[in-house]
Amino acid sequence: MSAPDRRPTGQDPGRSGSPRRPDDVAQHVDDMLRPERPMEVFRWVVTAVVLGLLAWGLSADIRWNRLVGAIPEFLNIMWLMFKDPDWSALPGLLDAMWESIAIAWLGTVLATIVAIPLSFLAAENLVPKPVSVLTRQVFNVLRAIPELILAVAFIPVFGLNARTGVMAIAVGSVGTLGKLCYEIIEGLDTGPIEASDAVGASGIQRLRWGVLPQVMPELASFAMYRFEVNIRASAVLGVVGAGGIGTLLSQYISFKVWDRAGLALVVVILATIVVDAISGRIRRRIVAGPGGTLHMTTIDPEALDAAQALAPEEQPGAPA
Amino acid sequence: MSDVTTSGSSSPDTSRRSGERPDKPAPSVFALSMAVGVVVFTVVTVVATDFSLAGIIEDLSRPNSSFQGLLNLDWSQVTNPRALAAFVETVQMAVVGTIIGGFAALPLALWASRVGAPNAAVMWTAKTFNNIVRAIPDVLWALLFVAMVGIGVLPGILALIFFSIAVTSKLTSDVLDGIDMGPVEAARAAGSSHTQMLRTSIVPQILPSYVSFLLYNFELNLRASAVLGLVGAGGIGQLIDFYRGARAWPQVWGIIVLFLIVTIVVEQISVMLRRRLV
Amino acid sequence: MIRFSNASVTYPGGVSAMKDLDLTIGQGEFVVIVGLSGAGKSTLIRAVNGLVPLTGGSLEVETADGREGRRTHEVVGLSGRALRDLRAEIGMIFQGFNLVKRTSVLNNVLMGRLNLVATWRTLLGMYPKADVEIAMRALERVEIVDKAYVRAANLSGGQQQRVGIARALAQEPSIILADEPVASLDPPTSHAVMRYLQQINQELGITTIVNLHFLDLATAYADRIIGLRDGELVFDGPGTDADDDVFRDIYGRSLTADDVLGDDDETPAAPADAASPHGAGTWQAGEAGSPQAPA
Repeated sequence: MSAPDRRPTGQDPGRSGSPRRPDDVAQHVDDMLRPERPMEVFRWVVTAVVLGLLAWGLSADIRWNRLVGAIPEFLNIMWLMFKDPDWSALPGLLDAMWESIAIAWLGTVLATIVAIPLSFLAAENLVPKPVSVLTRQVFNVLRAIPELILAVAFIPVFGLNARTGVMAIAVGSVGTLGKLCYEIIEGLDTGPIEASDAVGASGIQRLRWGVLPQVMPELASFAMYRFEVNIRASAVLGVVGAGGIGTLLSQYISFKVWDRAGLALVVVILATIVVDAISGRIRRRIVAGPGGTLHMTTIDPEALDAAQALAPEEQPGAPA
Repeated sequence: MSDVTTSGSSSPDTSRRSGERPDKPAPSVFALSMAVGVVVFTVVTVVATDFSLAGIIEDLSRPNSSFQGLLNLDWSQVTNPRALAAFVETVQMAVVGTIIGGFAALPLALWASRVGAPNAAVMWTAKTFNNIVRAIPDVLWALLFVAMVGIGVLPGILALIFFSIAVTSKLTSDVLDGIDMGPVEAARAAGSSHTQMLRTSIVPQILPSYVSFLLYNFELNLRASAVLGLVGAGGIGQLIDFYRGARAWPQVWGIIVLFLIVTIVVEQISVMLRRRLV
Repeated sequence: MIRFSNASVTYPGGVSAMKDLDLTIGQGEFVVIVGLSGAGKSTLIRAVNGLVPLTGGSLEVETADGREGRRTHEVVGLSGRALRDLRAEIGMIFQGFNLVKRTSVLNNVLMGRLNLVATWRTLLGMYPKADVEIAMRALERVEIVDKAYVRAANLSGGQQQRVGIARALAQEPSIILADEPVASLDPPTSHAVMRYLQQINQELGITTIVNLHFLDLATAYADRIIGLRDGELVFDGPGTDADDDVFRDIYGRSLTADDVLGDDDETPAAPADAASPHGAGTWQAGEAGSPQAPA
């Protein structure tokens, strides 16, 4: 760039400048010395830690030679799956997917029904501290156990059928729904409750008019979201025999019946996406209210997940 | 569903002053149909799954090996070297899956967003890819990879990589909606390329959230990797499957207890780290 | 040199923000554009670097590409690499500063070098020494180099805008566009920023176009004032010719107190944003017009 020299000078005469005294100039130059570049130790440490962890992780007993053939194998399987699907398997698959959806739904409903009264036991503003702490720990434990493992433990109890699946989903969801419930209870706006007391409402009426209107939309929205999450869990429960499309899926894949496995995969993916879409719309409709007549604090469960991931424990939320 | 439409219940005297009474609004069609729908759907599903509360109660009252195993919990599993070794494997799987999958999720989330995609075709491709990946449960990934590369730790790692892509890209996409577009405009005005703009104007804004998501992702991966072993993809799940097959229920529950301990400890650490990030 | 010929901009929805504009700005001029909100100031400025495309007419921009000497670009129809290269020759300063708050001042200024730095270097954050040197010099020119490694969010408004100016300078541009650069700043800081722009224009010969809605600032600093109303040019003349009547004409209404920035005190001096962002109390007795840098 052809421009006059831009080397910084100690003086900056400005518009109507008279040069400053030499002392001022020296002072000025010192003031403007470039700072040293900071060490950025933190960045290097973090990079080293991450790479170190990666190396440690990869040091597990991995059969690397299998990886080499993986990509051609993957393409081969893709080809086998979709070149000539076995459409005759479709009715059976749809039936099984329907069973998975039913399992997820019923499990979520059961969990909601059970979680609501239980959550009262966990609300600090309603019961003594030891009780609430205990109940919360129960919720935490139930949240932490994956549904599939619950299914494994429940099969000897309920048998190799869909009932086991429902129970596994239900028990797994009680934890997160319960957590949301007690947080809602603790955060309740006492206004409407006082108001219903003031007009002399009975206990149930107070619940109906003071509590429910505030709570229902959030709860319903969250339960729907849980349903969406549970679809994914219930789809695979069949792998251990607890009903649903998982049984067929694992059979077709293990025995490499690819022309049916591909179809099964597509059924699962499409059903999940469709359920997500419908449930998502219903949720948004719930939260928005009919023509916006409902006034409430809205909680978008997906935002909750993000909030849970960002600043946990302060927000009600659920691991996906 | 609550019906919040209460009107027309005021005393006659006051309404005379305010003019014509409005017609009472019809009860929310939406709320009503939702309530009906929920009940109907529930009944349908009860039939479909052959579910009965009576049956459940009956099952629970019968003695069975699983609950007996729970009562005779094998606490020694918590310090059992074999269990611990399997656990180390589980953690290794989770670590690799989080790092590689989480790393890959960043560009995928960027390309699936309006501001981060260089053009419409890339955005559409990334969005479709993300949608498909997010619709596949972790166990299903494991099943597929076991079929492709055999049992062991490798399919577990591969499955967790894709699972991590799903989780992290979803969360990252959400925060992308809320970024400050100012620096983006500044980069464009200075003549930067698209990738440079992403790196200098967008990534620094989402970095703390992104790292927080990676930690959260690791928690989820840890839970998931315990389960993947049930289909042969390594880690603690394979041990559970082994004991289950041998009907050694005290051991099964013992391992579950060990799993709970590790998960809860990791969750506490993760919570602590995440708080300091945001 | 910038030349609009019969230029028009009509936004989708029918809003016409520029109507058949004919305007030539010579190299090295200091031009201030005034007009009400919605009069088309922002559109005009953003048309120069193509952020807002013309829907009619033509726009020629002449730049001095260091090695290649002077080149004239037709902005209409420019895209891809060519558009980015043109934008690299034009620095832009924003009302909201548009800095990346989470990162250092230096990294923000280095964004001005993006067009010339290889992408892989940008990804890793490894800028060449020569570019870092240019960035440092730009910071020195706006007298804020001591804050080079400070997080941008920790600076006051005036300091952030200086970083914005440094970022534009780092591009080594032929033209600088400033869209309401002082609208968010207090009077003393606003004058300081305008002085920097003026110095840069006079010492480096960079064509400078500034949008302002403070009329007293316009008359104080502009060589040439352009008045827009409803997307049309209604005034074009030296700053000295612009008096209240002229402004009333441009605005189409009588003037209010909001149209004037106000005094920055009888001794126009220090930007005074060292100790306190709002400049109270730390006046340095200096000559009129010399921005003295806080420590």
